[in-house]
Amino acid sequence: MRDIKKMLKELFLFNEPKKDDKFILKETEEEKNQIKKEEIEIKQEQQKKKRDRSVIKKLFDPNEEKYASSESKEQKTKQEDDHSQPKEYISKHLHENLDYMKKVFYVPENGDIVIREFAVTLKKDKVAEAFIILIDGMIDRTIINTNILQPLMLLSNIEIEQREDEVGEQVKKRLLPHNQLKVTTKFDEVIEEVNFGGVGLFVDGSEIAFVCDVKGWEHRGIERPNTEIIIRGPQEGFNEVLRCNTALVRKILKDEDLVAENASLGRRSKTPCSILYIKDIANDDLVKEVKRRIKSIKTDYVIDSGMLEQYLEDHTFLPAPQIIATERPDRVAAALTEGKVAVIMHGSPFALIMPATNYDLMHSAEDAFLRFPYTNFLRTIRIVAIFMSLLLPGLYVAITNYHHEMIPTDLLLAIEAAREKVPFPSVVEILIMEFSFELIREAGIRIPGPIGPTLGIIGALILGQAAVAANIVSPILIIIVAVTGIGSFAIPNYSLAIAFRILRFVYIFLGAISGFLGITTGLFIQGLWLTSAKSFGVPFLAPFAPRTKGGFADELTRAPIWKQETRPDYLNTKDLKKQPKISREWTQAEEKTKKQNEENKNADNSKE
Amino acid sequence: MCLIKKISLLLMISILFSMFSGCFDRREIDELAYVMAVGLDKGKTNALRMTLQIAIPSAATGGGKENGGGEGGSESSYEITVETPTIYSGINIANTFVSRQLNLSHTKALIFSEELAREGVKPYINAITRNREFRPDMNVLVSKTSAEKFIRNVKPRLEANTARYYELTLAGFNYTGFIANTDFHKFYRQSVAIDQQPVAILAAVSSYEGSEDIKLEDSTYKDKGRDLPFEGDFKAGKIPNSGGLKAEVMGLAVFRGDKMVGELDGEEAGMYLMATGEYNYSSMTFLDPVTKNNFIVLNVKQSRMPQQRIKMEGDNPHIYTKLILEADIMSIQSGINYEKPENLSKLEEAAENSIKEGMLRYLNRTARELNSDICGFGAHLKKNFLTWQDWVKFDWPGRYKDCKFDVEVDLKIRRPGLMVRTSPPNS
Repeated sequence: MRDIKKMLKELFLFNEPKKDDKFILKETEEEKNQIKKEEIEIKQEQQKKKRDRSVIKKLFDPNEEKYASSESKEQKTKQEDDHSQPKEYISKHLHENLDYMKKVFYVPENGDIVIREFAVTLKKDKVAEAFIILIDGMIDRTIINTNILQPLMLLSNIEIEQREDEVGEQVKKRLLPHNQLKVTTKFDEVIEEVNFGGVGLFVDGSEIAFVCDVKGWEHRGIERPNTEIIIRGPQEGFNEVLRCNTALVRKILKDEDLVAENASLGRRSKTPCSILYIKDIANDDLVKEVKRRIKSIKTDYVIDSGMLEQYLEDHTFLPAPQIIATERPDRVAAALTEGKVAVIMHGSPFALIMPATNYDLMHSAEDAFLRFPYTNFLRTIRIVAIFMSLLLPGLYVAITNYHHEMIPTDLLLAIEAAREKVPFPSVVEILIMEFSFELIREAGIRIPGPIGPTLGIIGALILGQAAVAANIVSPILIIIVAVTGIGSFAIPNYSLAIAFRILRFVYIFLGAISGFLGITTGLFIQGLWLTSAKSFGVPFLAPFAPRTKGGFADELTRAPIWKQETRPDYLNTKDLKKQPKISREWTQAEEKTKKQNEENKNADNSKE
Repeated sequence: MCLIKKISLLLMISILFSMFSGCFDRREIDELAYVMAVGLDKGKTNALRMTLQIAIPSAATGGGKENGGGEGGSESSYEITVETPTIYSGINIANTFVSRQLNLSHTKALIFSEELAREGVKPYINAITRNREFRPDMNVLVSKTSAEKFIRNVKPRLEANTARYYELTLAGFNYTGFIANTDFHKFYRQSVAIDQQPVAILAAVSSYEGSEDIKLEDSTYKDKGRDLPFEGDFKAGKIPNSGGLKAEVMGLAVFRGDKMVGELDGEEAGMYLMATGEYNYSSMTFLDPVTKNNFIVLNVKQSRMPQQRIKMEGDNPHIYTKLILEADIMSIQSGINYEKPENLSKLEEAAENSIKEGMLRYLNRTARELNSDICGFGAHLKKNFLTWQDWVKFDWPGRYKDCKFDVEVDLKIRRPGLMVRTSPPNS
């Protein structure tokens, strides 16, 4: 009886579920404390703001000073905590250094830290203990073996007449035949270098340590650029190694005025990056501003230039990108010659070019290499493509919903006949198609290679045929969506293409709400938005709004190459002219040049 | 904070959009029925009998999926007729039994019956002008048979789409010269203007069933003193043809103000075009100046706008017109070698005289018989008046009948066609 009762109870009443022994990520005490602190801070700020509002109250508020003093105290204690741990200077005793390095690099938990201990013969009977520290996989082993360990361990035994007294000097001057050697007294520098593929050498009895640059990690070779494919022009692309990339640029611009300044990003990642500019072309203020922005970034990790771009750009919510990211060294070189500044980051095959205007985003890397009529033709197509990818679906919705009188009667009747069996309003219809197109596009990037073609087939079938056969969408709409999609692929800048993909939906919405009025209003607002934007102090729509010189020479259309005499006016470069008025001297008649030469000679003679 | 403000501003704007302008007039294309032609007759039980020709989109674009081509029986449009006091009440009535809302934004033709046109069309064109749905470029027609009958006979063979039939047929004056461009905007302006009177295209249903029925009654050739009718000596309804579409257009209906006062035949319509400078090109037939019983066909173009001067001789206006034409030789039946420079001037002179004669006949007819200045000579005279009141007081429409005309024709034959020289046949 009792069993039955128990069983029923178990069946129908609530039972506490058995506790699983699964792993649960618990909040740490520190985190809790931190959150509490932050909350308190926020409260204080709010109170402060409240207090700020009334000036009179503020005058008589006794709490004001208290808050301030308590804050500063907290900070002080914090700082003391932080600094009690790390050692700053290298000790004379090797074992102290060894212990400290082990602690810093978490040896032996860390598997890829290599510490090699050995002895260096300094004088006949004097032998100093030493060790090197390095990270496995980031260094070139042969260099360490032949250029560092071999001379220190074996060749130090060779009899040499002159011997330095000081241990460090002896090692530096006589024993270490490595070309990139850094001498330091600070632990921080050693740690930094070791993290970035260096090897640290400590010798007993010396207060200095040596850091040799023996970087030798595996990396991608120089390949064709993946995203900016062109037909005419160089086919090299950046890779992930900083020095490799700067060398690629220097290879094109053999100019001693090209400066590649070093900077590092990220408190923890300490990613090195180079700020490239041509000293006697680029505007100093622009260079200063770029450096200021880069140096002021406080964050833990910066992994790709895509992140850096987001830290640097002026307007976070502007639909268009304000910095050009490019994989092509030739494009970077071209931008530098115009007076722009480029930032190349270690670990990213994309260099950033700044400032960027709206018209730079419509240019392809190829534009400069093609003859000028071809370029103008391609640019016209690109501009039409941009407008199509932005407005076509919106215009379609506006016309089919409000402005029937605008289209030829035949087309009207064709649309009407095609829509006859479609159950949805045209807005829903176009949203379905646009969404499925975006779906295919997004899935296409993520799909594993071998399955790729399948997606194409499915996509083509769904979009092209089945949807029409099932009367879900009308065939005319397929054309609209297809043209729009192709149009957006014709936009040379990847970010801009995405921006217009998003804005396209806004224009569909506006077109559906109030037809051409809505689309016009949308264009107006977008125009205002873009006109008010700036990229590194340069108006985004320059050289057309505001109007500056030479807008048609290379911004919207392209003049013949011998007519492009000036650098962009809005960059305010130090050197305004790219080439003299007559850049092709052969066009001048020979006699004329002869005459000029003679005149010059005569002038020289008379001077003498 | 700034971002929230911006977003709320954008939201507010978009809400205002939908609140103020909103989508109240949003209509999907397939919720509407498009009227291709509107016909107005005098009603039997009410003021108007209105016929609407409505496009059937699935048929107009080549039928459904299954049939492919336009099979017999699938007509691209259908007609409905309602008796109604006004145009818009008629559309209201029609909306009750046509499943889709009627839309007039693609209407190509407005057809009045002759009876209605002679009574005056002012009440209807005023109503139409006021509505923005009607296109200002639709053509105005006057049907000699009832408008209903005409529209019901528009069953195009070549076009799948009735609208296209109207567009192409009514633009035919560019290469026939037998009708004119009578778009509604122009028609309305001229119907209220003093300096020019409106015309409408003359339309009718053919009165001949087969080739055997063709007669020459109502042809105007005898009035012109010809033995045989030329191609322009007909009016709509009496064009000697069979097998084509029953609905046909030729000639113009002449209005004085908003009332129809008479008709022009095809040739006179060509003269109207020449006098107003709208003549494009078409082939014209002339009598051979030497043999007098053979025909010569020239393709005549108007190379420049006509030069017109108007002078007051006492109370009578004297109008001087100079036509500047070009022509290509299409056919010389007699085999006389007119291409020779010395003969060419003979041919030119004959053509000039023939056109001058036709033009004088036409102008005198508009003045004496129709008393309606459809060529717009008033516009040339208007500049002599200082104030509008003087011009109105002058009463140009009343004085037009006393006009004297002088016509000069300058015709140059430019090209002989592919045949450079006529070789007379050996006989």
